[in-house]
Amino acid sequence: MSETATPPPGTPDLPALTRESEEANFFHEAALNATWTGVRLAVGALSFAFGCFVFAYFYLRSLNSHGMWHPAGVKGPQPWAGAVIMALVVVSALVQYVGLTRIKASKKGAWQASAVLALVLGLAAIGLQVWELLNLHFFPGSSGFSSVFVGATPVFVIVVLAAMIWLETLIMRVRVIPAISFVEQPPTYAEAFAVQRFQASLSAFTVLWNYLAVVAIVFWVLFYLTA
Amino acid sequence: MPAADGTVADGAGRPEPNHGLRIFLLWLPVALVADLLIWFVWGPHLPPGAMSTSAATQQSAIKIMSVMAAPVMALVLVYGAYALVVWRHREGDDEDGPPIHGNTRVSVTWIGVTSVIVLSLAVFGTVELAGPAGAGAGEGNTPIWRPSGGTPLQVQVIGQQWRWTYRYPQFGGFETTSLMLPVGENVQFNITSLDVIHSFWAYQLGVKADANPDINNVAYTKPEHTGQVQVRCAELCGLWHADMTTVGQVVSLSAFNAWTATARTQLAALTKELPPYTLTYDPNAVAQLGKVFQKAGLSGAGGGFYGSQYPVQP
Amino acid sequence: MAIDMQPESDRQPGREPGGREPDAPPPPARPWWRRPAVHTALAGAVIGYLLGHLLGNVIAGQYSQVVNSGQNDYAIVLGYVLGTLGWLAGLGVFSDLLRQMTGRPVHATEEARDASAGLARYFRYSLDHKVVGLQYLVGMIGFFLTGGLLAMAIRTELLSPSYHVFSSATYTAIVGEHGTMMMMMMSSLILGPLGNYLLPLMIGSKRMAFPRIEALSFWLTPAAYIVLLSGLMFGGFPFGWTGYAPLSVQATQGADAYAVAFGIMGISLILLGFNIIVTVICYRAPGMHWGRLPIFVWAMLTTSFLMVLAAPVLVGAMYMLITDRTVQTAFFTDDLGGSSYLWENLFWFFGHPEVYILALPGFGVVSEILPVFCRKPLFGYKVAAAGMVGVTLLSFFVWQHHLFDSGINPDMRPVFMLTTELISIPTGFIFLVAMGTFWKAKIRFTVPMLFALGFYFNFLIGGISGVYLSDVPADTTEHGTFFVMAHFHYTIMGGLIFAFMAGLYYWLPKMMGIRLNQTLGKIHFWTMFVFFNATFLPLFAVGMAGQPRRVYTYARSLETLNDWVSISSFLLGVSILIFVFNFVYSTVIARVHEEGNPWNSRGLEWQVSSPPPPGNFARVPVVLSGPYEYGVKDAPPVADLDPPLGVISNAYAAAAAEGAEV
Ligand code: HEM
Ligand SMILES: [Cu+2]
Ligand SMILES: [Cu+2]
Repeated sequence: MSETATPPPGTPDLPALTRESEEANFFHEAALNATWTGVRLAVGALSFAFGCFVFAYFYLRSLNSHGMWHPAGVKGPQPWAGAVIMALVVVSALVQYVGLTRIKASKKGAWQASAVLALVLGLAAIGLQVWELLNLHFFPGSSGFSSVFVGATPVFVIVVLAAMIWLETLIMRVRVIPAISFVEQPPTYAEAFAVQRFQASLSAFTVLWNYLAVVAIVFWVLFYLTA
Repeated sequence: MPAADGTVADGAGRPEPNHGLRIFLLWLPVALVADLLIWFVWGPHLPPGAMSTSAATQQSAIKIMSVMAAPVMALVLVYGAYALVVWRHREGDDEDGPPIHGNTRVSVTWIGVTSVIVLSLAVFGTVELAGPAGAGAGEGNTPIWRPSGGTPLQVQVIGQQWRWTYRYPQFGGFETTSLMLPVGENVQFNITSLDVIHSFWAYQLGVKADANPDINNVAYTKPEHTGQVQVRCAELCGLWHADMTTVGQVVSLSAFNAWTATARTQLAALTKELPPYTLTYDPNAVAQLGKVFQKAGLSGAGGGFYGSQYPVQP
Repeated sequence: MAIDMQPESDRQPGREPGGREPDAPPPPARPWWRRPAVHTALAGAVIGYLLGHLLGNVIAGQYSQVVNSGQNDYAIVLGYVLGTLGWLAGLGVFSDLLRQMTGRPVHATEEARDASAGLARYFRYSLDHKVVGLQYLVGMIGFFLTGGLLAMAIRTELLSPSYHVFSSATYTAIVGEHGTMMMMMMSSLILGPLGNYLLPLMIGSKRMAFPRIEALSFWLTPAAYIVLLSGLMFGGFPFGWTGYAPLSVQATQGADAYAVAFGIMGISLILLGFNIIVTVICYRAPGMHWGRLPIFVWAMLTTSFLMVLAAPVLVGAMYMLITDRTVQTAFFTDDLGGSSYLWENLFWFFGHPEVYILALPGFGVVSEILPVFCRKPLFGYKVAAAGMVGVTLLSFFVWQHHLFDSGINPDMRPVFMLTTELISIPTGFIFLVAMGTFWKAKIRFTVPMLFALGFYFNFLIGGISGVYLSDVPADTTEHGTFFVMAHFHYTIMGGLIFAFMAGLYYWLPKMMGIRLNQTLGKIHFWTMFVFFNATFLPLFAVGMAGQPRRVYTYARSLETLNDWVSISSFLLGVSILIFVFNFVYSTVIARVHEEGNPWNSRGLEWQVSSPPPPGNFARVPVVLSGPYEYGVKDAPPVADLDPPLGVISNAYAAAAAEGAEV
């Protein structure tokens, strides 16, 4: 189950079970599970997508055809930019994660603040990465390494952008949910469902964003540390 | 499959025939005849013939696999035909069939038998691959299966859009459009390309190896009979892929020596203009390595028909 | 992803935070031409394409030029990409996302469900899985016919080695378009229409997990189709469906169409599989535990895993090809530190799972149909499911069997030979299952059953010829020839397409409430079966005799065989036309209604009326027994379609408790 979802309804303070509410509960429960399953599956698919570039990296590096994997004379990307981009993503994930622990304690405002901060950091990472790609000190096809770098980073940027859009929708959604709902079961099914769906979505997002932070570290190691 | 379950009387009181035995008796002659035909009648004519060691290996591989496949195929087909005839639905019979959900013994037997067949095929394939020095398939630039004995005859095969040329480094490195090989000698093909991926396929010799740009791909064979060899390209390489065909010759050793001697002197002037013999070439060598065509009154070589694969520098 | 967390039922009491009042009147309907549908999508596509083209010329007009064309690849690729986005935007794919981003309530669900009944909803971004299933059905048949037409063109050219109907360039373009069209589109041939339509019905659900993703996966297919065909305007692409670099890097703009189209379709496959996996895992009705899952659902599940995990590699590879062609990276250029082997590895790492993406759904369909017409339980249900799982796992470890002669990792060839031969063990299970099911059965030769039997016959030949190819010495003669071509057409055309036909004749009464004409169906089957075999069986010999693939001319000595094949293939084309006629005749003109359970099947999907009502089931059914209990004396009914109050909540409470312990 998702980390934040409270136990399924049927709890006494909700209206009595009817055929309709029974089914609504059934599909609600399924939807929560679907979010949980879906994000993990998405992480699997993304791993194969990023894995494609990691494979290219190691394959070309091990072949080093014509000594052109990363020849001495050819410049690489600026180390500071790489470190900053990685740090922005990682810090953003951390901030959001800390916020998540706060929202579980009904501190909705704390999460909102951390989420906005995480969003800004994530967008800054995107901006910096795009800036770096637009101001390359080397030509994309000048070596095997430069090809993988120029190919892989935009993919990462696109995925991060998608994650940031998701975060933005979460920030918009949480506005209408009263803080108290995060600790106490709301009085109607509709409200309870909405809160639980939000929580499921939020924890799914957290899985994705933490995963992307790991990817950011891997890419940083590959492109800036050990290149 | 056959020995599935017992022989219970059906509704009419007639004893149920032993289906398993019947299917077995139908299958046995079919499988036997098929195998005998494959081994004795068809086998010696199976492609790609036996002109070289590698071709003979491939022929025997195809033959042996056919001998193994035929009974399996016959079993499924005989069983299927039997089932469709005997177990078809009869008019007016609205009963469902017997509720058999499975049979562990049958399943285990099936899995066991197919596993044995398949594993023995894998072992067999590996042995056949190692035996005649890679069975004529491209082995990359550091072949692990090589022929025993001294250095084999070196023949470089250069693919380019859309011709094959050959260089003979042990005879001064001349380049020609005709493939000439002596009978009874080990041959090492060094296959490369100047533009895109081609695949050198000498049908009767049972040799097939991709010609990759900037990569040397080695294949071995040993011609055992004289005769003609069809050379084709087996990897789509663009517009005139279908026309990358030539005919090679396997000749006696003395004829081969005579041919190299003449070719060497006749082509001496051209050889001087060629880039020195290497295992791979810079694509810019296309112009020089294509000269042999003009000499031969041919056109079409030169690569770069499409664009360049090289990034432009803005 | 976020957008799929929205309400699925508007029957809930109370008010959604930020949502509409439950009793509020629906927003007034806009006139049809202002509501997103195909026409707005087309407008969006055109605008997007023009914008992209312009942008590309601004960025790179001065320096990146395709030989002899006055165009540049940036403009074309950006045109395609923005055109596709415009197409989607015009359909309204992004409107819910934008609503969410701006904090407004999402109401596309209601709009799609209620406001567009009738024929019009088939032209909209509909979130109803039954609508998407039928959209897919018509789309896939169209794509198949296009590919088939191209096949006829191929065979026309091959009538003679010396008289040419097409130039070699046109011929190569046609082969590439045929192969790519078939491979990318037919991957969803079964999962798209039959899967999307039937999956919820088979597992007892009222819906799919992610309706938006489902609809998106369909609406990407026309985009991919148009992009791929547009390559013909640039003279096509000269490298077949495999797109080997460096030829694909050098080739003219047709290559951009290939890469973008295949990439779009890759994304569609990922989305299709993603939705199916999550639905199977999370939306099964109470009682539908793993041991009762119909075997077709197992096939969908395993296929979907292949799609979700392998297709990203395809998309990645296509993307690298595009960057090589546009921003001038050098992934595939050996001289600059790239490698043409990289493409071959990535492509086949996807490519082999791809062939099982094409095969597994077929296994599922025929295994599903067999028990119904044998009137017996499926023999070895667990073996069948395990076989599919085994195939799925193994198919990620065999890709280099396409590269035995390439010089890549030659020392690894025994390993790949072994894994390839190992995969034939679980593949062979389908024959064990079929033969076991035949044992003492009461076989009924209905049209679906005929196609299923045809499948087994063809796949036997396809599978056994595959074993020849797995053996390196034998493959050295067979690789790159018509032998390979015959082999994979036996598994795809003879396997997948036959299984699709079986499924269509079997399930169309369910999907449309209309039965296809059975006499025409029998004619269709027999002509297709005979002429399919007449077309492709001789091609094994043609290949063995030395005819390479993708050639517009060949040895004179092979002309007789080639003529035989071509003529048979035209007759095969006629057979397909009989199918088209039957389809159109039965669904449009004759319309023989078939409401009940014509095959007397125990499948859960057959327990509701045909076509199923909106929402599929009146109540969430509770599944009581497996789907194949034919002949079992006191077998309980498949499901309780109207379970008493409390049963369902107990079921999910128990499941949740179980989940919590794990
Ligand atoms: C309608 C019946 C079909 C006929 C008559 C047919 C015929 C052909 C022929 C003659 C070729 C070989 C062209 C050549 O190598 O020179 C070919 C290639 C191919 N076909 Fe089909 N085909 C049919 C259906 C299909 C289907 C249903 C699929 C897959 C879903 C398919 C996939 C392919 C592929 C992938 C190639 C290889 C293209 C390449 O070499 O790049 N075909 N087809
Ligand atoms: Cu070629
Ligand atoms: Cu494969």
